Amino acid sequence: MKSILLILCFYLISLGLYGQDLLIEAESFDSPGGWVIDPQFVQQMGSPYLMAHGMGNPVKNATTVVNFPETSTYHIWVRTMNWVPGEWEAPGRFQLKVGDTDFEKVLGKRSGWGWEYVGATEISTKFEKVELIDLTGFNGRCDAIYFSAKNEEPPSSPKKLASWRMTIAQEPNAPKQHQAYDLVVVGGGIAGCAASIAAAEQGLKVALIHDRPMLGGNASAEIRVHTLGIYGHFERILKKLDTEHYPNGSAEAKLDQKKRDDNVKSYENIDLYLNWRAYDAVAENNTIQYVDARHTSSGERKRFEAPYFVDSTGDGWVGFWAGADFSYGRESVDTYGEEWEEWGELWSPNEEDNAVMGSSVLWGSKVMDTEQKFPEVPWAMPVAKAYEEVNGEWQWEFSRNDLNQIDDAEEIRDHMLRAIYGSFSNAKEHPENATRRLEWVSYLVGKRESRRLVGDHIFTFNDAKAGTKFPDAVVQETREVDVHYQTVLEDEKNPDFISEALFYKTPRYYIPYRSLYSKNIDNLFMAGRNFSTSHVGLGGPRVMRTTGQMGAAVGLAASLCKKYDVNPRQVYTGYLKEYLDLIESQKYIKIPKSKQ
Amino acid sequence: MKIQLGILLIFFAAIGFAQFGPQTPFSDRFGQNSMNLPPEFYSLEWNGGMQLKAKPTDLSIEIDSMGAQEINVLVDLKDRPVLYTSDISTPVCADGDCRLMDIRLYWTLLGEYAGFDRYPNSPLTKHDHDEFLSADYRKLHQLLMDDNSILKRRKIDELVKKPEQPEMEGVDAVAGATIKEVKESVVGGALYSCYTAWHLVHGPIKDAIQKRTLSLVDNDMVLRMLGSNNTDYQMFALKRMTEEQYAANYLRIAQIFEDGVPLIRTFIVKNLPDRFWNSERLQIPFWDNFSEVDINSRSLLLDNLKNSPVSVLENLSQELSVMTKNQLNLYLMHLAELKQIKPSILTNIEIFANSPSETYAYLATDFLKDYKL
Repeated sequence: MKSILLILCFYLISLGLYGQDLLIEAESFDSPGGWVIDPQFVQQMGSPYLMAHGMGNPVKNATTVVNFPETSTYHIWVRTMNWVPGEWEAPGRFQLKVGDTDFEKVLGKRSGWGWEYVGATEISTKFEKVELIDLTGFNGRCDAIYFSAKNEEPPSSPKKLASWRMTIAQEPNAPKQHQAYDLVVVGGGIAGCAASIAAAEQGLKVALIHDRPMLGGNASAEIRVHTLGIYGHFERILKKLDTEHYPNGSAEAKLDQKKRDDNVKSYENIDLYLNWRAYDAVAENNTIQYVDARHTSSGERKRFEAPYFVDSTGDGWVGFWAGADFSYGRESVDTYGEEWEEWGELWSPNEEDNAVMGSSVLWGSKVMDTEQKFPEVPWAMPVAKAYEEVNGEWQWEFSRNDLNQIDDAEEIRDHMLRAIYGSFSNAKEHPENATRRLEWVSYLVGKRESRRLVGDHIFTFNDAKAGTKFPDAVVQETREVDVHYQTVLEDEKNPDFISEALFYKTPRYYIPYRSLYSKNIDNLFMAGRNFSTSHVGLGGPRVMRTTGQMGAAVGLAASLCKKYDVNPRQVYTGYLKEYLDLIESQKYIKIPKSKQ
Repeated sequence: MKIQLGILLIFFAAIGFAQFGPQTPFSDRFGQNSMNLPPEFYSLEWNGGMQLKAKPTDLSIEIDSMGAQEINVLVDLKDRPVLYTSDISTPVCADGDCRLMDIRLYWTLLGEYAGFDRYPNSPLTKHDHDEFLSADYRKLHQLLMDDNSILKRRKIDELVKKPEQPEMEGVDAVAGATIKEVKESVVGGALYSCYTAWHLVHGPIKDAIQKRTLSLVDNDMVLRMLGSNNTDYQMFALKRMTEEQYAANYLRIAQIFEDGVPLIRTFIVKNLPDRFWNSERLQIPFWDNFSEVDINSRSLLLDNLKNSPVSVLENLSQELSVMTKNQLNLYLMHLAELKQIKPSILTNIEIFANSPSETYAYLATDFLKDYKL
C-alpha cells in the first residue's frame, strides 16, 4: 500500500507527463491472498511478481485498494505470461476484478512476458478495490497492472520497460537511503549466514541482505535440501545454521528454519534485511563502493556502503555487477587435467562447453483419508511423458545446454513444475494413489551450479584428489567429489528431468583462502557455490556445511581486513598466521548446550 | 547337486577351509571351445555368421574361497579379439547360508559388461532356493548393464538397512530413496547373488581387460569399433581417430550422429575437425539430422552457424518449430548479422510468425519487424 501511495505522490508531481496513468506492482498488493511473491527472476523479466502456486487448487484472491487520482475511464493492462504456451488451455489463467466489475477477459495467455489488455472501465470512486482471481491453481502470474486514460500499450521489451517503469514511478536514479557497514553480505544461504555470524562475533557491523522471508537458501523450509559435509573448524557456528539429515523435501526443514532464523537474529550487530534483493554493485578502481537493493514487495530501495563485501548470492551477482572475473560451464579435460577415464565425457569433456549441474525443485505428496482429485494437466505431459512418481528427491534435476542456470532460471523452474505435475498426474491414474494429494511443491529453484567467481586460486578436482594441504587451508571436507549429469544423455528414453551422480572417493581435502576472494575486485569475498573453483572441483564442496565453512572463514578474514585496514589478499600475504590462529581458536569456543 | 554343493560349501566354511579345488568347467555348447551364437543375455550386436573361438589370456579373476578363475578372449576367424569371457563359480552367502553361483560372464574389449550365459544344469537361485524365472534373468541382465548401479558404492549390509539410519557420506540424498532404488534394480529375493555378480562384472577385471585391449589396439580395431552400435566403442574410436580418419569416415560418423545416444552426438559435434566446418560436403550430413536429434545436439550444431552454407540456413528456416526459444533467438540473431537474407528464408520465417500454434511465433514477428526497419 505504501508503495502505491508513493507512486501516487510521484504521479501528482508528474501529472503533466503521465496524466492519469497508474502502475500497480502486483508484489505490492495489500494482501497477496494465496498468491506468492516470486522475486527469483527480477534480473531477467524485470520485477518480482505474484504467482498463484496452488498445486492445482485455485488460490485465494490477491487484493489491494488503489487510490485513483481522478474519476475517469481507464484502460487496463496486466503484465503476465502464459508459462506453457501450446495447443491447450493456458495452465495459469486468472481474471481481474476492479471495484464491482468482473472483467471477462481471461489473462495469462500470452507467450513471453508482456501486456495483456483487460478492457476499459469507468472509475467513479477515488478508492477502488482491485483483485486477482486465480482460475486454476497452476502458477498463473501477474507482474503489474497498468491503468491509463490513454489506450496505449506500455512497452514490452525488457530494456524499454525498465526505463518506462522508472519514469512512470518517477524514481530517482539512485536510492535515497544510504547505510554504512563494516561488511555487507549479500545472500542469506548457509554461507552468507555463517559469514555474517563469524564477522559479527569479531565485532563487525554487518548487513545481511537476503531476498526471501527466511534464511538458509537451499536449506530453507522453502527449498528443503538437507545440509551435508563436515564442520571443519566451525562446528559451533554451523550448528546454529545447518539441518538434520531428513530426506530432502521433508517438512522437518521448518524446525531447522526456526533455529537458524532465531540464531542469526540474536546478533545485535547483524542488520538483517529479509525480503531485500540486491540489484546492482558498482566498483571504482576495482573496489566495490556500494550494493543497491530493493524490497521485494514495497519496492523501497537502499544503498549499502562498506569497505568489504561478501558475494554469497550463489549466482555470483555482486561480482558480476562489479566486473569480477567469473567462469561458467565445464572446462575441457586438459584445462586442469581433471580426467576420470571411467566416466570420460560425462565427467570432464574433451572440449569445454556450457553444461553444468542442474537445478532441483523438490516436492512431495501425502495420503489423505478421502479420495483426492487432481486436474488434468495436458500441458505437463510433453515433459513428464509416461513418468510417474509421488514425490521428488535430489534426482529431480534439470540442466540443458541451451538454458543458462541464471538467465533461463524461470524456464528451468517451469520445466520442473511440468515434470512434477505431469508425473503426479500419471501416478494418480493408479487406484492406490486415489487418496493422495500434492502436499508441497517448491516454487524456488534449488541451484547446484552457476557462475563461479575467479579468485587467486581456482580449486580443482586435483586439489581434492591429492588432498593438497595448502598453507592457507581454511575449509576442509571429506565428502566425495560428486558430479551430476542428466540421464537423458545416455538414453533418450529417460526423462530429461532426472539426473545421476558420479562419485569419486578422495582423501580429506582442503580449500585455500585464496579461493575465497576475487582475483580482480579488491574488496570482494565469495562464499558458497560461487567460490573460485572449476566445474568438477565444485562437485565436492558445493554442499552446505562446506559452503558454511567458507562463509565463516571469510567472516573472520573480514575482521582482520578491518583491523589492519587491508584488503582480502593482504590477509593472505601479510597476516596469514594471525588469520589461521583465529580460525584455529574457533575450535576451542564451547558450544552452548542449547545449541548442541 | 545344488544342495549337495551348498552343504559341502557350508561344511568347508565351518571347518575353516579357505580354498576349493579347481572349478567345474561348463559342460554345455561352449565345451567345444567355440561359439556361433550370441550369449543368451547380451548387450552388443551379434553379426550373423560370426564364429568365435576361446583363447587363454594371462588375466584372471580372484574369487573368495575359489581362487583365480581364468579369463579367455574370444577371437573371430581372423584371430581378432571380440569379447572376453570367464566361467565363474562363486559362493554367495547370506545369513550364514552359502551356495555356489555358476555363471559365464562376458566383457567387451573395453572391459564393460557384455552379457552372460546361465549354466544349463545349475540355474541361479534366490535366497529361498527358488530358481530364477526368465524375468529374473532379464532383470539381472539389466542390473549388470548399469555400470553406475546403486550397488557400486555400498557395502552389502548398507543395502539391507532401513534408509533413515545411516548418514551416507557424500550423497546428495540417501534416506527414503535408497531401499526403493535397490528393490527396483535387483532381482527380488536375490540381493546377494545380484550384489556378487555386479561386483564381479564391474570389479578390477574391467581395468585389466581395458589395459590388455590398449596394448593391442590398431587401426583395424578402431574402425571396427567405429562400425559398432556400442556407445563405448564409438567413443573409444572417435577419441583415437586422426583428422584424416574423421574425413574418410564422415558418412559413418554422421550415421552415428543420427542413431547414437545424445552423449555420443554431443561429442561428435564438439570434436569434428575444423575441416568439416569449412566443407559443405562434410558438414551437410550432420545438419540434415537437425530436426531428429536431441536439443543439446541441436544447440551444439547451431554453434557452427557462422560456418554453415546458405542451404543450411534455408533448411533451418523450415525447422523453426523444433527449436527452443534460445535456439530460435540464436538462429535469428545470426540472420540479423548477415548482409542479405535469402527471400525464401524470410518467407519461411513469416509463415512461422503467422502460425497461431507456434509458441515462439512472437520472436519471429519481432525479428521481422526489426529487419524491415
